[in-house]
Amino acid sequence: MIGLRCLVLLAVVACPVQAAAQGADFVHRVEVTGGLGYFMGARLGDADATLRANASPSQPFTLFTTETSLRGSLTGDLRVGTWLSRRLGVEGRLGYGRPDVATSVRADAEGAAPITVVERIDQFVIDAGVLFRLDEMRVGAVVPFAEGGAGYLRQVHEGLALIEEGHVYHLGGGVIRDLFTRTHGIVRAAGLRADARVYFLAGGVSLDDRITTHGSFSGGLFIRF
Amino acid sequence: MRGRRFGQRFLQGLLLVLVSSAHPAAYIQFSVDVNGKTVPLRWQTVPVRWYASSQGTPDVTPPQFQSAVARAFDTWQNVPTSSVAFTFAGFTSAQPFDEDGLSVLGFSAEPDMDRVLGATTFVVDDVTGELIESDIFFNSVFPWSTADAGVAGRFDLQSVATHEIGHLVGLGHSALGETDIRPTGGRRVLASGAVMFPIAMSAGTTADRVLQPDDIAGVSSAYPDGGFASRTGSVSGRVLLNGQPVFGAHVIAFDLQTGELVAGFALTAQGEFVIAGLRPGAHVIRVEPLDDADLDSFFDESQSVRIDFRPLFYSRLVGVPAGGAPPRFDVTVTPK
Repeated sequence: MIGLRCLVLLAVVACPVQAAAQGADFVHRVEVTGGLGYFMGARLGDADATLRANASPSQPFTLFTTETSLRGSLTGDLRVGTWLSRRLGVEGRLGYGRPDVATSVRADAEGAAPITVVERIDQFVIDAGVLFRLDEMRVGAVVPFAEGGAGYLRQVHEGLALIEEGHVYHLGGGVIRDLFTRTHGIVRAAGLRADARVYFLAGGVSLDDRITTHGSFSGGLFIRF
Repeated sequence: MRGRRFGQRFLQGLLLVLVSSAHPAAYIQFSVDVNGKTVPLRWQTVPVRWYASSQGTPDVTPPQFQSAVARAFDTWQNVPTSSVAFTFAGFTSAQPFDEDGLSVLGFSAEPDMDRVLGATTFVVDDVTGELIESDIFFNSVFPWSTADAGVAGRFDLQSVATHEIGHLVGLGHSALGETDIRPTGGRRVLASGAVMFPIAMSAGTTADRVLQPDDIAGVSSAYPDGGFASRTGSVSGRVLLNGQPVFGAHVIAFDLQTGELVAGFALTAQGEFVIAGLRPGAHVIRVEPLDDADLDSFFDESQSVRIDFRPLFYSRLVGVPAGGAPPRFDVTVTPK
């Protein structure tokens, strides 16, 4: 993979002129994109540990309070897609990250020291989406696109003890820039791609039924076959 | 058949004597030694037949007594993840402390037990460990009520019966609660997280008619049913202080999703604890010394319980799976 990337980069240097001249030959070609990104954290919610109060059962006695969040994490992703037309494309994506679930514990009734307890989870997102090229907004060789889709969320707790599942939905956009193209051979083009997405997570590690919202940024290198 | 009787008391404000032993399970269960082997105390045959004493008090007639106690039995029987069940066998002139093979619940005037609301006794076959009989007495020197909403200044019979029936099924005390010391001696309960907390709520309160998650986990561990084993999980580990095991440490699991609290104790010489009956999900683990009730409410006097450490939260969040357990972990506490 490293060798292939070097080859692609060398090709970019060797073929700068071709990069700006892109036709419609990307349609119906398979694109594979590998990249890195950042999945932003979000607050999952508060929960108080309460006991049944003697003096007033309607007002519970708070043993301690907690506030939980899913922290941001680096992610790696692999995408496979194709453009069905000059305008419309589809792709599937596998994303992986290791965010921390962090719970801040405070206000202990017996004076236990405040602490943030954490657990690192393995987070997998498998989603499928639709891409719309916005050629009318292109700037030179940089072509923007909009995207949206849905998928499956799998969060695995430490020690593989607990697996939590859910759904993800995303909206966003990005830019594509072909670095080189050619009309023959297995590899027809390579380029760079950047995405910015807003994810809506339902289920998984959550304290209630609320959907949590997460930003995500990623950049990668694609190869078109 | 050689019977052996011992008992457990529910106190108004001061803890007296516990005559039972702890069993290393998710919840303290009464146990008996049979031929050198520790056997959890539980009913082998259900439904458990119970009798109501035909002796009432000026405040509570026998039918009112039977009705309130029946509701308390129903509370335990209606736990969907437990198989324990009861049936009312009738009124009897027998007294709660009679050793007659009948499980009798009734009032008895015990003025010497001026801080004891009620007590549960057991008759156990020394040879087989089988639970033969369990009686519950309610101390008629106290004012009682069976009113739906309770009566100020009177103890709610159904609430106290719910606690005592917890003992009748074999459960010991839960330490999930907070108390402070009265200036005149004894303890005042501030709050509790279990009907099986050893000190009663105030007179007039009916809150302990309703089981809490810790109670449900306890009875379900003792009489598992309804997918209890497959639908809940457990955590286990050790509590250490200066590298040494801490016997008797109270360990609480807090479910971040449901807010439920379920607790257990470090019950082995190695400081090991197990908390079962946890819903799947992320849990915060808190360890505290057993200092909200007298130690003899939980353990034999011969057992050396350490309370010389500070309450502490385990540094990791613990994910509990359905039907399983995460890897065991150690919690190291610090001295006071």
